[in-house]
Amino acid sequence: MSDEHIVKSYDEELQHLNDSLVQMGSLTEKLLYDSMNAITTVDKDAVSKIVESDAKINKFRSSIDQHIMTILVKRSPVAIDLRYAISTLKISQDLERIGDLAKGNAKKILPLPDDLPPEMLKRIESLGEMVQKQLKSTLDCFIEKSVQKSLDTIKSDEQVNDLATASIKEVLEFLSKDKKNLDFATNLLFVCKNLERAGDHLSRICQNVHYLIEGDYPQK
Amino acid sequence: MELENKRESKVISKNIDVFYGDKQALFGIDLEIYKNEVTALIGPSGCGKSTFLRCINRMNDVIDICKITGEIEIDNFNIYKPDVDVVRLREKVGMVFQKPNPFPKSIYDNIAYGPSIHGIAKDKNEMDHIVETSLQKAALWNEVKDRLHEPGTGLSGGQQQRLCIARAISINPEIILMDEPCSALDPIATAKIEELIDSLKRSFTIVIVTHSMSQAARVSQRTGFFHLGKLIEMGETEKIFKNPNNTMTQDYITGRFG
Ligand SMILES: Nc1ncnc2c1ncn2[C@@H]1O[C@H](COP(=O)(O)OP(=O)(O)OP(=O)(O)O)[C@@H](O)[C@H]1O
Ligand SMILES: [Mg+2]
Repeated sequence: MSDEHIVKSYDEELQHLNDSLVQMGSLTEKLLYDSMNAITTVDKDAVSKIVESDAKINKFRSSIDQHIMTILVKRSPVAIDLRYAISTLKISQDLERIGDLAKGNAKKILPLPDDLPPEMLKRIESLGEMVQKQLKSTLDCFIEKSVQKSLDTIKSDEQVNDLATASIKEVLEFLSKDKKNLDFATNLLFVCKNLERAGDHLSRICQNVHYLIEGDYPQK
Repeated sequence: MELENKRESKVISKNIDVFYGDKQALFGIDLEIYKNEVTALIGPSGCGKSTFLRCINRMNDVIDICKITGEIEIDNFNIYKPDVDVVRLREKVGMVFQKPNPFPKSIYDNIAYGPSIHGIAKDKNEMDHIVETSLQKAALWNEVKDRLHEPGTGLSGGQQQRLCIARAISINPEIILMDEPCSALDPIATAKIEELIDSLKRSFTIVIVTHSMSQAARVSQRTGFFHLGKLIEMGETEKIFKNPNNTMTQDYITGRFG
């Protein structure tokens, strides 16, 4: 943000908000990584830790809520400060949802069937990696307050959608070959869909970063 | 929100410069004030808000060292033309000040004074009517109707301010200028005045100077930001407070001014 406020504690409050959101973001990054890792390595023991991290992310969200309310009450923010308060409120909601989706995925761990084509798993792995990459650039665009980066990140969500669609198609083909894989394949469909949704939340975050900086949402 | 194209100009300031002796207080002010809207003027102390407000009813004329160049048009008529009747002008453009300043007279006489010197009321009946409707429009009637002959100075600060607004209204002005009308009032009295301002804009064009950003945001449709005698930015109030164009405006309204 530009210059400092006359009231120093106001700057500190905004800085604290910024830091909390960045911390929340890196926890979400870790959670998403752990969740994908647990699925592909069939690591059921990781689930309880993942549930814990998700709870921590939820706590961040509610403390950010409280903090923003305090700022609204104490400072009656306007212009950039108002947009900052509103957009961080929304961004923290989207991060929380991404945490929920990653946790939901981890809870769906099932042993890999013997006849699972390795490319299929690979593709879902790369879908996960792609969403992780999107999350990283989303957090960067918030940290750097970069309009260009937010536009680029929104644009590359299309690739997430394409890969998710391709993966879903592949899982359905796999399922149609042998109905005994119904449970596994259904879970995998959820995983793909959740990753795609996580991508949508990331785009929304980028839109809110754009709003924060420019005062409007990017043109479709 | 009214649409831009339905708006009608009431006051147009064209290149107004104001000097107090050698010291220039306003620099080339160009702005437009729309009819039946509330326009807020904001800016740091000493930036020239009150000076500009006083240009609109030529109150600066009474300050000897004050020199003004440029034009102010009201309804497309330049009020700085040499032959303008300043008394008529001030009938048309009323003013309310920061500190409520009722005359040391009864509530009734506070209101009746203006209409009587301007010869607006024909008889006692008509005057009673003007007093009542003015107090009603100023949302004060119910509180004072049983004590009209008590002194105006015996009212609370907020009531006194509404009395001054009633007094301004009583001579049927078209424009009401308000210079920090709530700065001496508590939140309840302030809320009443703000509510009143909102209802008055149906009949009048209002220009208000305020140091409260939230008040400007609440009562006005357009806001102008002054700094060091210049109009830095003028626009829709919502735009100014959500996403101003000028960084100076943003710095001021967000409290970043050094
Ligand atoms: N009667 C006067 N004689 C000399 N200088 C004056 C006079 N009135 C105002 N000024 C000067 O003109 C400048 C603008 O003053 P003005 O009162 O218009 O500011 P303002 O924006 O209304 O400030 P505030 O918010 O403190 O009321 C200031 O530098 C002030 O000192
Ligand atoms: Mg003033």
